[in-house]
Amino acid sequence: MKKHLLLAIAAISSILFFAACEKHDHDDDDHDHGTTGAVTLEFEHGWGPSYDAWAIGQQKVHPVTGDTITFTQLRYYITNVQLQKTDNSWWTQPESYYLIDASSTSGSMVKMTNVPAGEYKAVKFIIGVDSLRNVSGAQSGVLSASEGMFWDWNTGYIQVRAEGNSPSSGTGKFLYHLGGFSGPDNALQTKEISFGAGTLTASPTSGPMIHLKVNTARFWHGGVKIKDLSVIHMPGAAAASMAKNFADGVVFDHLHP
Amino acid sequence: MKIWMMTSAAALSAALVITSCKQDVEKPHIAGPQIPAHFPAPHYTAPNNPYSNAAFELGRHLFYDPLLSIDKTVSCATCHAQNHGFADHNVPKSFGVKGRMGKRNSPAIFNMIWNTSFMWDGGINHIEIMPLAPLQDTLEMASNLDTIMQRLKKSEKYQRLFKNAFGQGQMTDQRMLHALAQFMGNLVSGNSKYDKYVTNKASFTTNEVKGLNLFRQYCETCHKEPLFTDYSFASNGLDMFPKDSGRMRITQLESDRGKFKVPTLRNIAETYPYMHDGRFDNLNEVLNHYSGGVHQSANTDSRVNGIQLTEDEKSDIISFLKTLSDYTFLSNPAFSPPPK
Repeated sequence: MKKHLLLAIAAISSILFFAACEKHDHDDDDHDHGTTGAVTLEFEHGWGPSYDAWAIGQQKVHPVTGDTITFTQLRYYITNVQLQKTDNSWWTQPESYYLIDASSTSGSMVKMTNVPAGEYKAVKFIIGVDSLRNVSGAQSGVLSASEGMFWDWNTGYIQVRAEGNSPSSGTGKFLYHLGGFSGPDNALQTKEISFGAGTLTASPTSGPMIHLKVNTARFWHGGVKIKDLSVIHMPGAAAASMAKNFADGVVFDHLHP
Repeated sequence: MKIWMMTSAAALSAALVITSCKQDVEKPHIAGPQIPAHFPAPHYTAPNNPYSNAAFELGRHLFYDPLLSIDKTVSCATCHAQNHGFADHNVPKSFGVKGRMGKRNSPAIFNMIWNTSFMWDGGINHIEIMPLAPLQDTLEMASNLDTIMQRLKKSEKYQRLFKNAFGQGQMTDQRMLHALAQFMGNLVSGNSKYDKYVTNKASFTTNEVKGLNLFRQYCETCHKEPLFTDYSFASNGLDMFPKDSGRMRITQLESDRGKFKVPTLRNIAETYPYMHDGRFDNLNEVLNHYSGGVHQSANTDSRVNGIQLTEDEKSDIISFLKTLSDYTFLSNPAFSPPPK
């Protein structure tokens, strides 16, 4: 009997021991108790209003301005992803920061693995890094300043970075570093995208995908000519306006179950 | 007997729980920055970067290490020397790698945790990311985070220092910046003769008292005690047409042309030359500027208008300014180059 008790106490104490320490390793994952599933947002990049085939390095002619344009880089932040359930409540992904790189299909995906099981009818996200992370000092992961998406002399994230070549530019290049997180220069764009009549199901056995299309010709929306505007490298009206035009070219296409 | 054994087992289990968690709490923390009682609460409270001795030591090693610059010739300390209040060695503008000259006078580094912005133009909003600009500026250290982290990861010394500071697997650029913020954050200067005077631990000479009174009459509106700056951006009328756009570089507002952050005057006798471009070699020249030398440019601050000082008054103000030198800070071995 005495032995039994001692063993039991030892067992309890070892459970306590592990429980006490384990806590520290999982403090940012609140969802491992409920059932969750994976949901992926895919950004498919196209050119022009009909979203023609497009790729980094591929020469295109702008449908409105006629400028010849070849992208060498297109990267942008997708952050603070939320999903709306069919009961209209929103699930907010914790620590939700992604950097899209249009140079590859895999780099153009936002893969979420911690989505609570359920039916969803819409998605919401910010194109860019929320203002709080712009004023909170050194960050890690995709928010590290080593990604080349951060201004060191005028603090703030480059929310959208588009670069490439065009003979219409005096230097032969265009460079749009779009940022600004407060006041009239705020370039952050919140997108809310409904799935129309469709819904997606998150569950441990499914891996649905939300397929979005991105019109890369939108940087020159409204007939902006490269000879007039080939460089943006700080917050301001030009950056905010271009960021909005770009965001308006991100649209829902279809769902994969 | 049974009860006794049970109690001891319970005590043992409790002890286990406590010790098991202790190792997670890292090293014993120093108090962090030593904040003088007559100072306000700091702006930076290190919410995601708890102060520790080990992180401070890592930051100190990084601060003094030329490995951070692209050709390993320039460290932070090259242009920020302790005996000059962590400003440069009395040069108007600093030299970065390959003898490249910077664009503005190197500011002093202390009392940084009260700063609401950094650099002469205030373009940087946080102490933790402040070092990115000098680390990456081609006129300064001309490096980049990937190169720096590769070098640090190869170094056994830094493997050890990072592990001591932040635990295993934490050699990241974020942690490097945290450590530098801890070193800079601990650089608090608040033990000058002035500080002793205002806390009734020392007395001023007649000239110093006169100087303090004149200071409070003419200078205090911008250089507010006890930190000797109000952290505003102002033009003190150095030029009718400023060559350096100053704060306007950040805000793009014409009304900010030629404005710069009001610098602290603590340790001012050690940080000459003065102004954003180091144009004045000594405090006499500075006071001559304020006394009749101010240009009425479009953005000249009204607070510097109409100051007229006699030679005696200038001399008294300078006597007072010299009481702002904090020799315990300027020679504190904890802030000096770390032992090899």
